[in-house]
Amino acid sequence: MTGEHPDATIAQRVRRLETLLEEKGLITGERVDEAIDAFLASSSPANGARVVARAWTDEGYKSRLLADGTAAVRELGYMEGSYQRLRVVENTAGTHNVIVCTLCSCYPLRLLGPSPSWYKSEAYRSRVVREPRSVLREFGLELPDTVDITVWDSSAESRYMVLPRRPEGTEGLAEEELAALVTRNALIGTAAL
Amino acid sequence: MTDGDRFPPGTRVRTFPHDPAHHTRLPRYARGKRGVVVEPEGPAELADISAQGRGDAPVEQIYAVRFAARDLWGEGDHHVVLNLWESYLEEDPDRDR
Amino acid sequence: MARINDVGGTQGFGAIDTADDTEPFHADWEARVVGLFNTLRAQGIFNTNEFRDAIESMPPAEYLAASYYERWFTAIVALLETKGVLEPGELDD
Repeated sequence: MTGEHPDATIAQRVRRLETLLEEKGLITGERVDEAIDAFLASSSPANGARVVARAWTDEGYKSRLLADGTAAVRELGYMEGSYQRLRVVENTAGTHNVIVCTLCSCYPLRLLGPSPSWYKSEAYRSRVVREPRSVLREFGLELPDTVDITVWDSSAESRYMVLPRRPEGTEGLAEEELAALVTRNALIGTAAL
Repeated sequence: MTDGDRFPPGTRVRTFPHDPAHHTRLPRYARGKRGVVVEPEGPAELADISAQGRGDAPVEQIYAVRFAARDLWGEGDHHVVLNLWESYLEEDPDRDR
Repeated sequence: MARINDVGGTQGFGAIDTADDTEPFHADWEARVVGLFNTLRAQGIFNTNEFRDAIESMPPAEYLAASYYERWFTAIVALLETKGVLEPGELDD
C-alpha cells in the first residue's frame, strides 16, 4: 500500500477510515452494515439459475428473455431498480458464448452473485478475448473446432449472462430440479452442463 | 444523438485510434479496428466525461459492435463483442473494399 | 499508452487459477470496503466512473501488487482526498 505505515494492516486502515468518516458524520456503521446485507441479499447465482430453468421450460419466456433480458428477468423479480441492462446470450450446438470485463470486472451481480476471484484476475481478463479456446480448456471445457465462440467484453452499461444448453436426459425434470443443475460457471460461459 | 439510428445493425464501423489521457471504455486492443454493429444497447452518459466528476457528461447511444479475432489479433476464429459509445465510432471509410 | 487496468490481450499473466471461491469475501475488511463503497456512492460522494478512474490511476506496479479489494480501498481514499473529505495523508496520521 502507500508505505507510510508498513505495520498497519489493510484491515486496520479500513477500520480507521470507517472511524474517520463516522467522526465526520458522513456514515454510520449501521448504514455500512445495511449496505453489505443488501449487497449479499440481492445477489445470488440461484437467481440466474432460476431464469435459465424458466427459459428451458417455457418457450415464450425464452423468446422474451433473448429479446429483452432486462424486462424478462424483472418478470421474475430481479434487477428491479437497476440502471443496467441485461443481455442473455444463448449457447447452441454451433455457438458458445463467454463473458468477461477486460477493463475492470463488470458482472451481472444480481443474477450471478459476487464474482469468483478468477473472473477478476488479470490472467482471465487478458487472455479470454485473445485465446478463448485455450482459456476454456483450462476450465475443462473442450469445444469442437466447429463451434463458433463469441466473447462478450462488458465495456459499458450492459451486463451479460449465458443461457447454457439444457443437458440431455432432463426432459422429465421440474423447473426447480433443472435450476439446481445450473452452475455459476455455466452462466459465465466457462462451463457447459 | 441518443436514438440509436446513426449506426443501424449491420453497419460497418471503425473505432477511433485515440489514446486519451483520461478514463475511457474503449480498450486499447479495439482501437482503430473494424467491426460490425450488432444493435444499439441504449443511451448512457459518456463515461470519459462522467469519470471526471463533471455534471455535463453528454448522453450518447451505446452500440454492441462485433469484431473478428483476425481483425483484432491477426489470427483466431472467434469473435469479440464490445459495447461502445457513439463517439468512439465512425462509419468505416473503407467499407466498400 | 493505455492504463494498467486495460489488460485485454496482454501476454504473460500465465495460467488461470480456476478454483471456485466458497465465500463472497475472504476477510471481513473486504465486506466493509464494499459497504463503504456502496454507502458513499449512494450519498453522491462519487460516481462509478470516477471510482473506476481512481483505480486505473494507481501506479502500475501498485495496481498489479494489490488485491481486488485493496484496489477498491485505495481508490476510495484517493477520491475522498480529491473531494476534500479527507486531508491528504489524514488516514495515516
